Amino acid sequence: MKSKPQVLVIDDDAVVGRSFDRVLSGKGYEVDTALSGEEGLEDIETTDYDVVFTDIKMPGMDGIEVAERIKAKCPWTPVVVITGYGTTENEAKASVLGVTGFVRKPLTPDMIESITLKALEKPVEVAEAANEPQVVAEELPEQLHGWRKAGRISKNIGLFFAAPFIALGYVIALPAVGFYMFAKFGYEAYQKKRASN
Amino acid sequence: MTTLYAMNDHFEPDRQEKVYLHPLPVRIWHWLNALGFLLLILTGFQLRYVDLFSLMSFETAVKLHNWVGFAVIANWFLWFFYYVTSDRVTNYHPDLDAASFFRRYFSQISYYSSGIFTGAERPHKVQPHDKFNAMQKLTYQFVMFITAPVTFFTGLMMWDVKRFEGLIELAGGIRVVNTIHVMMFILFVFFIIIHAYMGVLGKKASSHYKEMFTGYEEPHD
Repeated sequence: MKSKPQVLVIDDDAVVGRSFDRVLSGKGYEVDTALSGEEGLEDIETTDYDVVFTDIKMPGMDGIEVAERIKAKCPWTPVVVITGYGTTENEAKASVLGVTGFVRKPLTPDMIESITLKALEKPVEVAEAANEPQVVAEELPEQLHGWRKAGRISKNIGLFFAAPFIALGYVIALPAVGFYMFAKFGYEAYQKKRASN
Repeated sequence: MTTLYAMNDHFEPDRQEKVYLHPLPVRIWHWLNALGFLLLILTGFQLRYVDLFSLMSFETAVKLHNWVGFAVIANWFLWFFYYVTSDRVTNYHPDLDAASFFRRYFSQISYYSSGIFTGAERPHKVQPHDKFNAMQKLTYQFVMFITAPVTFFTGLMMWDVKRFEGLIELAGGIRVVNTIHVMMFILFVFFIIIHAYMGVLGKKASSHYKEMFTGYEEPHD
């Protein structure tokens, strides 16, 4: 059993992760940080987090994709999206994924604490957190956004073109994997039956 | 369960609202494709089994098969360019984690073979950017990236044997090309039958069909 609620903060800006850590660690939470979506998803594979915060704009996998994957893998985990660039389009996109909520940068220690509490305890309520600029995640220059966007688009297209090769590999492997799974389930059922006798 | 809430007074649509799953270009492509493939299958049967039934003359069947074939190829490019330029391209992204993919694949099989009859929860939560379950994803990737292009290429070769003489020889001759085309045709026939059947497994038998017209997924219980 977990002794402390576990929080994961995914943000390419280390300042944000550190801010969460500083605020929440002293209040009985265990905070893990990840600097990219990929790293965050790896953490999720090994740890059962009570709440995940993810920045929306990150190099590589963006927050929308991260939220999508977390929701696909563990739909019960509350995911709060940190937005900083005020695009309601991204928020609308994230909302259809079933994310628990949004929080806009800049974040204050009070906001961090209250958002975490709300996400853990009362997911249907509207949070009334102050928006004081004490913990400010720096805005990135517009040009860098452009590069990041271009990087994300090329990655998306690259994966799209890789799909047929990987699909072919999976189709070829499918009978063998199917046989293995069938044998595994059969063996497990047999063991279970044997144990009950 | 509704788990949405807003912070800093943000707009938040309720999860119980309809989810926009199928944008207009996808719906247009889908239904044109359905019509095209039905016509191709029909005329293909007529061409191959000319003595068995006579729905139309052989010549008409050839002409129709060729024209519809080109229309379906053009339609494939509509699908391709839409996804390449859309952020919904993630729907066709491969799963790089093979172990996780096969786990989800077999849990989907288990759902279709037993869970669906006992009212078990669906293993895959449909999202606009991740709308296919593992079984659907692999099937659609295979159909759209492999089966369809192979069918188009072999069809083109047989459409103008003289022009594609070199390619046909490279492929092993016209019989080989024809056999591959027919094998793809058989796969498509199976795919369409199974696809149409799976379409009735929604909340209501008509739900998924309705979704392909409206674009919106009906909320689930």
